[in-house]
Amino acid sequence: MGRKDDFFQTLEALTPTLRRYARALFAGAGLAAADDLVQTALQLVASQIRAKQFRPRDANAARLRAYEVLTDLAGRKLREGAATRPSPRYPAIVHGLAELPHDERATLLLVALEGLAYDDAARILGVTREVTLARLMRARAVLAGLDLRPTALLEGTRRATGHLRVVK
Amino acid sequence: MSLSALVEEADLHALVDGELDSERRRKVEDHLLQHPQDAALVEGWRRQNAALRAAFEHVAHETPPLSLRGAALRGGGPALGQAPIETGAIHWGRPTGPARSVRRLDELRKSRRKQTVVSLLLALVAGAAVAGAAVLALTRSPPPPPSPPAAANLSRGFIGRADVAFQTYASDARPIEFDADHKSELLAWLRGRVGFGVAPDLSGLGLRFLGGWIAPGVARPAGFLLYEREGVGRVGLYFERAEPGAAPAGPPRAAANLTAIEWRGAGMAFVLIGPLGADAMQAAAERAAAQVLAPAADAEKRR
Repeated sequence: MGRKDDFFQTLEALTPTLRRYARALFAGAGLAAADDLVQTALQLVASQIRAKQFRPRDANAARLRAYEVLTDLAGRKLREGAATRPSPRYPAIVHGLAELPHDERATLLLVALEGLAYDDAARILGVTREVTLARLMRARAVLAGLDLRPTALLEGTRRATGHLRVVK
Repeated sequence: MSLSALVEEADLHALVDGELDSERRRKVEDHLLQHPQDAALVEGWRRQNAALRAAFEHVAHETPPLSLRGAALRGGGPALGQAPIETGAIHWGRPTGPARSVRRLDELRKSRRKQTVVSLLLALVAGAAVAGAAVLALTRSPPPPPSPPAAANLSRGFIGRADVAFQTYASDARPIEFDADHKSELLAWLRGRVGFGVAPDLSGLGLRFLGGWIAPGVARPAGFLLYEREGVGRVGLYFERAEPGAAPAGPPRAAANLTAIEWRGAGMAFVLIGPLGADAMQAAAERAAAQVLAPAADAEKRR
């Protein structure tokens, strides 16, 4: 029982980070909806642990599960047509984020904003590491168009598979 | 040409995301040195990461709304009897769904309102406390002794105020309001207003007592006595109520062409300030300090 309580504590401590992730998944739009999803995701994971449908091996597993459930819920919500128009006060990067497909946005946010390892992000998204990397590349290539950098430099990145280069 | 010698785009991403081991990382960094185009890519992605974090980082530092606190601990039962999430068993459109989400929204609004009321009350209480403290501080008399930080500020300012008093009074050629002939009158006045009324006799050092004034101090008015060495210049003795403690360490600070020496005693801070040489000033300060402390010691003995 003690271990179970530990998982609940882990989830509880995760709330602020999950809110950040949810807010970014909605690209800054639908603040109440994002908080709502975090609440649902946390309660869902907690009740799955309670009902023994999900037995996390460690605190990190519980953490990844919370990200997974939240990503999934947000995907459904967005497919239902929830608004993702960020208000104009947000910086360009957030508007670029809103233009990305949900999968790519989630991948980019898990890695770049939440600082998760590729393997963890792949597990959350239920895809292979290679797919994760490909989505990450696409997302970054699209967002790079927004940057102040000259876009000519970014020609090579339009190909998601990447290219080999001989160093020596 | 081994495979590890090749750097592909994936490696550049992995570098940005901290996914490389140190050896591989060194290799990719070497590669970037020789390929400024790739270095620019990496730089651009790092900038993206920073922009993302800047846009959303604040959310993680906010206090979550009341409705979210304890969400994991409260649990709630939506998943009971449902298959695990991967099978897609969460139906937003299931019959009980809308009612639940509407209720949750209501709770959310209610809790937000509660939050607003609570913070409003807290603000009112804090405001009342501040106002009460201000009234207390303003109406209390005599003013409370300065708290330690204030005293620290004051102690930094004694020499500065002595300097001002010196500049104001010492150069004035007009007759002094209380000259040496009215010394006892002056000392009684200083004792009443400043809390200290002793004029050290420095005639042994060639410093003739000229007279004195009350000068502005911070906690209470300060006293300022003036001495003169014929043909050389005037020396001022400034004293103000101060917390007992050591005078600031360090050599006597010279203000412009002046020498100022500060010391503490008898609950006062003393500053001797004047244009004499450092040695002469030091001797005068020692003489004054000895005389200033002597009456207090006598008073102790008599008691």
